[in-house]
Amino acid sequence: MSRPTPVVAVKGLTKRYGGRPVVDDLTFALDRGEIAGFLGPNGAGKSTTLRLLLGLAAPSSGTAHVLGRPFAELTDPASTVGAVLESADFHPARNGRDHLRVLALAAGIDRARVEKALQTVELTDAAGRPVRTYSLGMRQRLGLAAALLGDPALLVLDEPINGLDPAGVHWLRALLRTFADQGGTVLVSSHVLAEVTQTVDRVLIINRGRLVADQPIAAFTQDGSLEHAYLTLTTAATA
Amino acid sequence: MRRQLRSELAKLTTTPTTVAILATLVGLAALAVGLHAYGLSTNQLATGSDQRKIFIDVAVNLGALFAALLGALSITAEIRAGTIRPTFLATPHRATVIGAKAVSVFAAGLLVGLVATGTVAGVGAVALDLRGLSVRLTAGDYVQFLGGGALGGGLLAVVGLAVGAVIRAQVPSLVALFAWLLFVENLLTDLAAVHRFVPGALAQALAGQDRAGALRTPGTAGALLVAYTAAALVAATLATSRRDVA
Repeated sequence: MSRPTPVVAVKGLTKRYGGRPVVDDLTFALDRGEIAGFLGPNGAGKSTTLRLLLGLAAPSSGTAHVLGRPFAELTDPASTVGAVLESADFHPARNGRDHLRVLALAAGIDRARVEKALQTVELTDAAGRPVRTYSLGMRQRLGLAAALLGDPALLVLDEPINGLDPAGVHWLRALLRTFADQGGTVLVSSHVLAEVTQTVDRVLIINRGRLVADQPIAAFTQDGSLEHAYLTLTTAATA
Repeated sequence: MRRQLRSELAKLTTTPTTVAILATLVGLAALAVGLHAYGLSTNQLATGSDQRKIFIDVAVNLGALFAALLGALSITAEIRAGTIRPTFLATPHRATVIGAKAVSVFAAGLLVGLVATGTVAGVGAVALDLRGLSVRLTAGDYVQFLGGGALGGGLLAVVGLAVGAVIRAQVPSLVALFAWLLFVENLLTDLAAVHRFVPGALAQALAGQDRAGALRTPGTAGALLVAYTAAALVAATLATSRRDVA
């Protein structure tokens, strides 16, 4: 039996800015139902990798595919990938419901799903207020609602824990677990190592654009703390 | 592209920007035409040609500028706020996004042009009447003034979108449009052979401007302005499709 097409397949992915590689020959693949934590120091190339995967930037070489195709060639991108890149991706004067409606219109998603997504992230009561009045945590949840609009197979989240209070972190963890249990795949970048240990199935560590570890979370907890492994890997590669 | 067009039209109507632009335009146009109608001597306002010249000067200058600003804001506000990322995630084919934006800002620009000319026609007529002067514009003058003003606004809005898409940063885009339409085109009025072909002057010609040196064939002016707009749109599409999004 042939292996099913990976949800994410990154092969030899490289991005250079002014000759300097920011992402350097990165290769990994993610399957259905996996939650992968994408870790690395500031400037390691995490966000650039996510932008390459989402077609916002073009690779210098290599490929980044979602379900066998580059993002730009997906026939229905919103129902394939949902992404939260930065908590600031909103027009401050537009209200939360209209933010989702504008995206739903472009993706051909009906209005009922906008209300459902607002309910899922518990923002129905605040949906009529301009986003400028939202707290950082509320913005994160609105970003998640946008990502969930198309009922995607893959969630790509860049630092989603920033700005969430402990209850919010707990809520997000449950949401991601349910999503993965239903067959969804999650690629989540984070700095909060303690949180990662509780949420992810697998850890990818990137340093200076290169992948320095790709293992199940269990492998790290057996060796000691993830923090210890992380610091060893990222400082050893730097030295 | 229908989905994207509906999305772009929703973007224009779900922030206060469009209404603020229209309200400011009405206020400025009314003030400017009122000041002209009161400030100029009666022999500068006596004939239909004089009145038309002033109406077009005020309405089309302001209409073209505000339409271009609205066009530029439709993309630079997205880049500035970061919403350009979810926009491109929903529609990875960026030429489709630019096409939908072009159609939506063209429609909004028509409205801007119509509001500018309508305000000037209305306030101008009242102001002239209060001064005891009769309005000498014919029905045909009004049709060309309103229709040409609207079309000029629509086309300049698309040019503004293209400038915003190429420059990307909001403040430099708006400054470039202000500098060109208010300053450079004014300087060029001394070089009639050149000035008659610049976008602002072409928009005026569309509305019926007949000052010395202006193109007096609205068809030619319209065709040239459409050609500029198309070229700008091609540049905007290429720039947007080829560059990485931050």
